Amino acid sequence: MKLSVEQIPYENEEEVIVRCYDPQEKWVEAIRVVTAGEVSVSAFAEEKVYRLKLSEVYYFEVVDGCSFLYCEKSVFKCRQKLYEFEELCRNSMLFRCSKSMILNADKIQYVRPSVSGRFEATLMNNEKVIISRQYVGELKRLLGM
Amino acid sequence: MKKIVFWLHRFVVAYGIIMLSTFFMCLLFNPTSELPVVSFFGRCILFTLVCMATLVVYYSKTELTLRGWWIRTVLHAVLLEAILLPLAHNWEFWYGPLDAVIYASFILAAKILWHLIDFGQSIRTATQINKQLRRRNNHQKQGGA
Repeated sequence: MKLSVEQIPYENEEEVIVRCYDPQEKWVEAIRVVTAGEVSVSAFAEEKVYRLKLSEVYYFEVVDGCSFLYCEKSVFKCRQKLYEFEELCRNSMLFRCSKSMILNADKIQYVRPSVSGRFEATLMNNEKVIISRQYVGELKRLLGM
Repeated sequence: MKKIVFWLHRFVVAYGIIMLSTFFMCLLFNPTSELPVVSFFGRCILFTLVCMATLVVYYSKTELTLRGWWIRTVLHAVLLEAILLPLAHNWEFWYGPLDAVIYASFILAAKILWHLIDFGQSIRTATQINKQLRRRNNHQKQGGA
């Protein structure tokens, strides 16, 4: 397979074009996941604007109508609504895990069942979040199960 | 489609628990009255549908906290007793006060069994997910090394 890499100036947007026989091939899917992880989103903290890559985000949560992005150690405010962020995360490792949260499957250390029928996920930074049973199927799909 | 399968699965589990409870009640108390097979199974199906309708107490627009879940679980148990006991009495499944106590304890036991089955399934799912997470992490470590 031929690989072409073209260096572009910083003013232009980075782009990946895949020329393949079958778009369902595993390697195409892998590129899709990687490029989706490189999608960035604007976030705010202490009156400064940041560009965060989706792959850096641990989870997105809506609390009292305000949206927040949680990274390893920092929390950012963001403008997107839950459904908008969900749309942005399509084809990435982020998935809807409850009524108000979108979680990055790559940041999950392990999950534990709860008597309430839900799952408690411990993240790489040892934070704990809840995964609703109805969204577990999506996590399994993302993990290739 | 997934939702239909989910509720069908719940119906089968609830129906199975009701049949199991009936079997043990007949085995232990050797009832004198007899019911035609068709009307007995029909009533069991109706019982199951009523049980499933009571699950509406778990409905919430926001994600339930563990405390919220416990409150609703107690409420659900009370609701089940309040609906199923008079219904069963109307169908002559029990007669005297002692029968009522035994019947009520069977309803409670069935609810506990329901949650235990649910928890068992959650444990199995969590084990599968953790196994896959470990495999992915090992794979990523090997790829990074």
